[in-house]
Amino acid sequence: MDLIVTKGITKIYNPNKIPVHALQGIDLTIKKGEFTAIVGPSGSGKTTLLNIIGGLDRQTEGTVWIEGTDLTNLSDNKLIDFRKNKIGFVFQSYNLIPVFTAAENVGFIMLLQKRSKNEIDTRVLNLLKSVGIVEQMNKRPNQMSGGQQQRVAVARALASKPKFVLADEPTANLDSKSTTDLLDIMENLNKKEDMTFIFSTHDQRVIDRAHRVITIEDGKVVSDVNSSIN
Amino acid sequence: MRQCAINENIMGMIIKIAWRNIWRNIMRSLVVIGAIIIGIWSIIFLVGMVNGMIESYINNAIKNEVSHIKIHHPDFINDKESKYFISDITAIKNEVDSITGVKAVSYKTITNAMISSSHAGRGIMAIGVVPKYETNVSGVSQKMIAGKYLTDTKKNQILISKRTAKKLKVKLRSKVVLTFQNLDNEITMGAFRVVGMFETGNNIYDESIVFVCQKDLNTLLDINGNGHEVAILIDDLSELDSIQAKISKMYPDLLVRNYKEVQPELALFQSQIKMAGIIYMVIFMLALVFGIINTMMMAVLERVRELGMLMSVGMNKMKIFMMIVVETILLAMVAAPVGLILGYMTTSYFNKNGINLFFYSEEGMKQFGFDNFIYPNVPTDTYWQLVVAVSLTALLGSLYPAWKAIRLRPVEAIRGSFETRDGLMVWLFKFLRNKIRSIWT
Repeated sequence: MDLIVTKGITKIYNPNKIPVHALQGIDLTIKKGEFTAIVGPSGSGKTTLLNIIGGLDRQTEGTVWIEGTDLTNLSDNKLIDFRKNKIGFVFQSYNLIPVFTAAENVGFIMLLQKRSKNEIDTRVLNLLKSVGIVEQMNKRPNQMSGGQQQRVAVARALASKPKFVLADEPTANLDSKSTTDLLDIMENLNKKEDMTFIFSTHDQRVIDRAHRVITIEDGKVVSDVNSSIN
Repeated sequence: MRQCAINENIMGMIIKIAWRNIWRNIMRSLVVIGAIIIGIWSIIFLVGMVNGMIESYINNAIKNEVSHIKIHHPDFINDKESKYFISDITAIKNEVDSITGVKAVSYKTITNAMISSSHAGRGIMAIGVVPKYETNVSGVSQKMIAGKYLTDTKKNQILISKRTAKKLKVKLRSKVVLTFQNLDNEITMGAFRVVGMFETGNNIYDESIVFVCQKDLNTLLDINGNGHEVAILIDDLSELDSIQAKISKMYPDLLVRNYKEVQPELALFQSQIKMAGIIYMVIFMLALVFGIINTMMMAVLERVRELGMLMSVGMNKMKIFMMIVVETILLAMVAAPVGLILGYMTTSYFNKNGINLFFYSEEGMKQFGFDNFIYPNVPTDTYWQLVVAVSLTALLGSLYPAWKAIRLRPVEAIRGSFETRDGLMVWLFKFLRNKIRSIWT
């Protein structure tokens, strides 16, 4: 099943001044359950593409469909709801709420979705278990290592039961052990729960584990290698 | 089994974030909290001081000069001639005394006179009082600084103020002469012996009056059994209007006025207390609102990434807005009780012990009818008004930072960039700039 379809995505920054063509007609189809890495040099347009797929930014031209919904036609408020319910985000610098514990950081999204207290409690516990950080559930981000924080970020991304997770350079700030652990966790979730992960990354360790690698240069897809074992 | 701490609704969670955010940068929060505390404390103290001064002025005036209610012959107000007396004034005194709520009543004879000693003379107002009644109504008997108050037993006693004594160069037991016109407009005079000196605290008043026994003055004026003024004190100021109305009804031919009508400046002062309090509050709010805006803008700038993340994961603008507003209101809620309690404690202490303004300027304050000791007094209303004012200020101060927060672009904010969408003002500026450019070119 096609989860994400992009057609002719173009993004031009500063169109009225000195235009920067970040994306130039990207056509992509990502199916459910894929473990995809979008790679390319700095400034190639990886993050821009991820932002557009994630509904954080709007393309200059082209269309993005998520499960058949055209994001172009969604108002800002509907887009916020769409992100809340359909997309999980993992950011390079974790971006956890510093005044919340790990459990609160994960549960917060579900409160936004108005889930029941029991459901939130159970799911938070299960998610923290699945990312191997249940012992740290009552610690705040500043009491955890970078790897632990990124695991909380993954649990948070999954808390809303999203259709797919977008991870922008998730391992950029992690050491090698934490990177391996995080990739294990995400690969496991991909296999067991059929969760779709899309990464933008420079990290060869991530690229090596990805089932599909899309390479972008100068805003264009230059290669799309699918070594999927699914 | 492990328990998660997620047992709130979204509003509870917003309050929790807002509360914890306050303590993220303790020093910055303490600066605003301190500003609010000092602001509230200073307003309470200022209002208390002004209130205390005005109350002291009004109470002095009521105690020493005007009483709560006065009865006069209608023409006596414009022309203080002896002929405008109230007949059978003793009967009126007794009738008014029997009204419920009336605390004390006295009656007086009043006439303009010239007081002379062997050294000097000056114009004054001679007030003839019945000592046993007057002491119940007037506080002058408690303001004696030398000698004693008038008694009914001896003839031709006079009380003068310390300042008058100084100007006439007389001492206790000195003789002075009072000269005035009697009912037939003939000059009459009497020699009086100084039995006491008083000091009310109001120099203007002190220099303008002397007290003698009414029977002595009435004999000289030839108006025995009559008088010019009935002075009434009441128990409860809230009954002033009803008692005044009752007396007016009893004596339709006489002029019955309360102290605000006798001395309109007292009513003016009373209304000014409230106005001054409101002005202080507005100034305080204006100063505070900028402090709050500054602090909250810093807080927003510091959390751009966090706000970007919250927007990205689906927190809508209303909730982001609420979060900033709640944080500001909580900040004010932390500070307000401390400021109110400090203000209450300070004014309560000085209300008991008084603030001595003697060191500032003894004569200066007395010239205007104020006591040297001021007892700050803050009406309960002021505390409530401050609670409302601080809440409004916090709300007002939070609006701009909250507005800036929701104008953030999530995609920029995640990277820590504070680039916001163009607001109305920016749009207007750009529109005008482009218009001017097009006209220019």
